[in-house]
Amino acid sequence: MRQFRSMIYPYVVWLAIMVVVPMLLILLYAFTKEGNSVTTFRFTLENFTRFFSDAVFLDVLKRSLIIAIVTTILCVLLGYPIAYAIASGPEKSRMFWILMITMPTWINMLVRTYAWVGILQDDGLLNKLFGLFGLEPVKMMYTTFAVVLGMVYNFIPFMILQIHASLAKMDKSLLEAASDLGANRWQSFLRVTLPLSLPGVLSGITLVFLPAVSSFFIPKLLGGGQYVLIGNVIETQFLTSGDWNFGSAISLIMAIIIMLSMYFTRKVDTDPSANGRSE
Amino acid sequence: MKKGIAMTLAGVLLVAGLAGCGSSQSGADNGATAESAIEKYGSDTLKLYNWGEYMGENVISNFEKEFGVKVITEYFDSNETMYTKLQAGDAYDVLVPSDYMIERLISENMLQELDLSLIPNLSNLAEGVKNLPYDPENTYSVPYFWGNVGLVYNHNNVDPAVIEEQGYEILRNTDYKGTIYVYDSERDSFMMAFKALGYSMNTDDPAQIEEAYQWLLDMNNTMEPVYVTDEVIDGMINGTKDIAVVYSGDATTILSENPDMSFWMPSEGTNLWSDAMVIPANAPNPKLAHEFINYILTYEASLDNSEYVGYASSNQEVLDELSTTTFADNEAYLPRTGYEKDEVFVDNQVLKKQLSELWIKVKATK
Repeated sequence: MRQFRSMIYPYVVWLAIMVVVPMLLILLYAFTKEGNSVTTFRFTLENFTRFFSDAVFLDVLKRSLIIAIVTTILCVLLGYPIAYAIASGPEKSRMFWILMITMPTWINMLVRTYAWVGILQDDGLLNKLFGLFGLEPVKMMYTTFAVVLGMVYNFIPFMILQIHASLAKMDKSLLEAASDLGANRWQSFLRVTLPLSLPGVLSGITLVFLPAVSSFFIPKLLGGGQYVLIGNVIETQFLTSGDWNFGSAISLIMAIIIMLSMYFTRKVDTDPSANGRSE
Repeated sequence: MKKGIAMTLAGVLLVAGLAGCGSSQSGADNGATAESAIEKYGSDTLKLYNWGEYMGENVISNFEKEFGVKVITEYFDSNETMYTKLQAGDAYDVLVPSDYMIERLISENMLQELDLSLIPNLSNLAEGVKNLPYDPENTYSVPYFWGNVGLVYNHNNVDPAVIEEQGYEILRNTDYKGTIYVYDSERDSFMMAFKALGYSMNTDDPAQIEEAYQWLLDMNNTMEPVYVTDEVIDGMINGTKDIAVVYSGDATTILSENPDMSFWMPSEGTNLWSDAMVIPANAPNPKLAHEFINYILTYEASLDNSEYVGYASSNQEVLDELSTTTFADNEAYLPRTGYEKDEVFVDNQVLKKQLSELWIKVKATK
């Protein structure tokens, strides 16, 4: 065993360089500001007070959280039945449907989101289709609908795969036992299937909520420049205004919010041994 | 630990192998070859960092053929993105930033002085881009495209007389609520507001900035504007909105594709901008970079560029020709020069940061 242990050193070094150092840098940036000619930087909480004392930023934060929560809920509501349907099919069709769900994710997310612009715009595919039935064109681009649609579309595979993984490894004899004991199908779903698939749902929630709350190009493309979410504010700090300190502070605030939400999600997960993280 | 070394070695070999795949031969068929290019310039590869959709169809391939070299192009969508990458240490041979950014790069010693003896075609420069305030002697930069910012409007839905009378204020006229595109850039939006209020667009007077901020907030809150960048071109070609703030070169494209659209050059004044080619201080191949800059100024390359992209050429002959032929009926092509209220952006970091902060707040206000 000791022989093998030395093999993890490269990975430890790798982790330190690629994960720990950047995190520390963000921490350093977040708590400092540009200094004067004597010191290059000085420590301050200014970046945080600036964020929390500005109603506009708090509004953006609230909007981002609401959009992410709505996206996550929709992903659960849509993803669960799909995962359930796939998991209850025969082995061959299961492989096929999982492939169909994974396949779009092989294509770059940006490209897939751009495709929605072509579908949703005022003279896009959908509106042309409506036109065939004599319907008036509907304004879909640059609305909350478009942004949520883009997010659900992009992130739902994570949800389906997680739920499917925990449903697929469920012991089917438990269901037989439930029906032997007189439970109808609905009861056995509520008492057996649902609790057993909960770890999958919970890790699905984490996997969807994380990217949804920090996404900046989906709102930018489908919501227009006026659709400002927290990810866009961070992007602006780094790319346009060049205020890395403030940008890092907002990133840190987001990281803390995400960590807290993960902590509470894990708490709901009552059975730690049945953690559905396996693919 | 021996295993660790072995793995590192394997990694190095892998990287080296990949790098080997990267090198390729250039398809030179008339005279110039990769070998002669290496002999002449020290390398046969030029790294260009340019705006997206900013180059004629055959300019690069013709240059490659003529000089036996290979051009690797990367694209940016804002001067700030470009600056950030440059600062991160990425090396390019030629960049095409805008006026105020060139000023900044010069002041931070990030550019190298041009050897003008290697750029004889400089004599082709158009009158409108000579002696520009940020680099009057072309010490560091050679203009590429230029123009101004104006309003494109659908003359079937917007009365030209109204736009003539109201100018930028039409963007706060609620008769046109929900029908406007505004360019998503803090400098151009504040330029509009400053000009509408009768101030200089380079002002750093806090009271004037506050007033401009309120002007933009008011527009944001009452007009339901959509903030876009390049999407404005397709949007206006398709007639999605009636009024849009547009760069004159993009307006040229819109007007030639959609006959319902007209261009209005703001009488309150506008941003007279130019993008110019520069060579960064850390350019790996400055000799070839000079050759490229000289090539862009030739009649053929300038014509291809300007005709294809629609932006005003920095070559006088091409400018004269296109404004009387291809774009003769296109009021957006030829930029207005010598108008008193037009200005050129001056680099001001403090102001820029402040406007950027205010602009995201304007957009985020619901």
